[in-house]
Amino acid sequence: MSPDLEQALAARLLALADDELILAHRNSEWTGHAPILEEDIAFTNIALDEMGHARIWYEQLEALQGADPDSLIFFRPAAEFSNVRMVELPPGDWAFSMLRQYLFDSYELVRATQTLESRYRPMAEAAAKIRPEELYHHRHTALWVRRLGLGTEESNGRMQQALDSLWPAVFQLFAPLPGEEQLVAAGYVPAPAQLQAAWEREARPFLEDAGLRLPPDPQAPATVAPRSEHTEHLEPLVADLQEVARLEREAEW
Amino acid sequence: MSGSAVRDEESVPAPGRDTQWPRYEVFQRSREGGPVHNIGTVHAPDAEVALQNARDVFVRRPQTHTLWVAPARSILTRTREQLEEEPDWRQKMVTEEVPVKAYFVFHKNSQRRSMHYVTLCGEVEATTPVEALGKALDRYDEGESFVWWIVPADALARSEDEEIESMFAPAEDKEFRLPNQYRTRTLMREAIREAGEDKGQS
Repeated sequence: MSPDLEQALAARLLALADDELILAHRNSEWTGHAPILEEDIAFTNIALDEMGHARIWYEQLEALQGADPDSLIFFRPAAEFSNVRMVELPPGDWAFSMLRQYLFDSYELVRATQTLESRYRPMAEAAAKIRPEELYHHRHTALWVRRLGLGTEESNGRMQQALDSLWPAVFQLFAPLPGEEQLVAAGYVPAPAQLQAAWEREARPFLEDAGLRLPPDPQAPATVAPRSEHTEHLEPLVADLQEVARLEREAEW
Repeated sequence: MSGSAVRDEESVPAPGRDTQWPRYEVFQRSREGGPVHNIGTVHAPDAEVALQNARDVFVRRPQTHTLWVAPARSILTRTREQLEEEPDWRQKMVTEEVPVKAYFVFHKNSQRRSMHYVTLCGEVEATTPVEALGKALDRYDEGESFVWWIVPADALARSEDEEIESMFAPAEDKEFRLPNQYRTRTLMREAIREAGEDKGQS
């Protein structure tokens, strides 16, 4: 593998890992607070699954470049995280968290499906493991989005509000990373445009059938914020995530 | 419980007391062709959510092949004692008459198993749950059963075979660890040990 290709692959793996980790942390904030006990268990379980996916990608990065996952998670400054903005936003209300998870799950499912044939073997293997879990997550969150969207005036209103604020942010998931075209050419990752098209074919009609109005399409992809730029919400999240580890760096676990 | 043949707790309004969704009974078959056991209950607004909740609450770890759910209020339940207290229950219990349909019969005949409650023992056809209970007793009672459940087949929602891969398979290779299996060596534990040593020395 050429150094350029390796660098592009490392950036993609880190982006995949960071998205999962930050979303998992946000979801874990519902533990003990979800609307009903059954959902508390379910959503915590989904958060754990995403944490497991993060681990897969961090470990692949470690295998590629030797970066220690624990250092990346617990001792990296917030400014160096490369997650998309939508996953760092505060949990909001239940509609917001369910819709965010649906948008992410439907994206992750499409990505996993299109990665099954990756010519970078570890990625193809990861996709085969992740995909069944995403089928289940997707089923769970789609079920909630539909019920809230088609429920009462209030639940529909809250879901619409969540969609209005999340819709422009979701397209950052499909923005190519620097050097991504090399990964696509090598057959390692799906082409971003192909990924986005497949996702839109599923998400747009689904959301409309759930009684929601799709907001106007966001800006052109070229103007999507880079993953190095974050909202003010990431720093407190990372501080929270790293608080215990930073208390005693040398502690053994 | 006398009078109505169906559990009626959900039909009794309890304003300000119970804000829960209706209860669903959850049945599990761990492997293809294996026994079907009742393993607990979940709350859900409808059968689809009930199946999903059942998966999350009960089968994140153990092996599962199929899950069934049925609204608790659709199930006729009787214990041996209840039937003995009401000797003419076959005549007295009134249930709405419907065209002949299938009912699944569950019973409990052992106190040994603590992880599940009743187990599927057969299927009968009847026009009412009471008639189904009568047929169940005639056909399946070997003197040991002390709880009977009559579940209308059309009240059951079941997971599909195609769903095994996403609903149940991922749980199988997930490690379950009890808190005491984490090898944590915390500063606190060290501090306690050191404090103990100091005491011993003084």
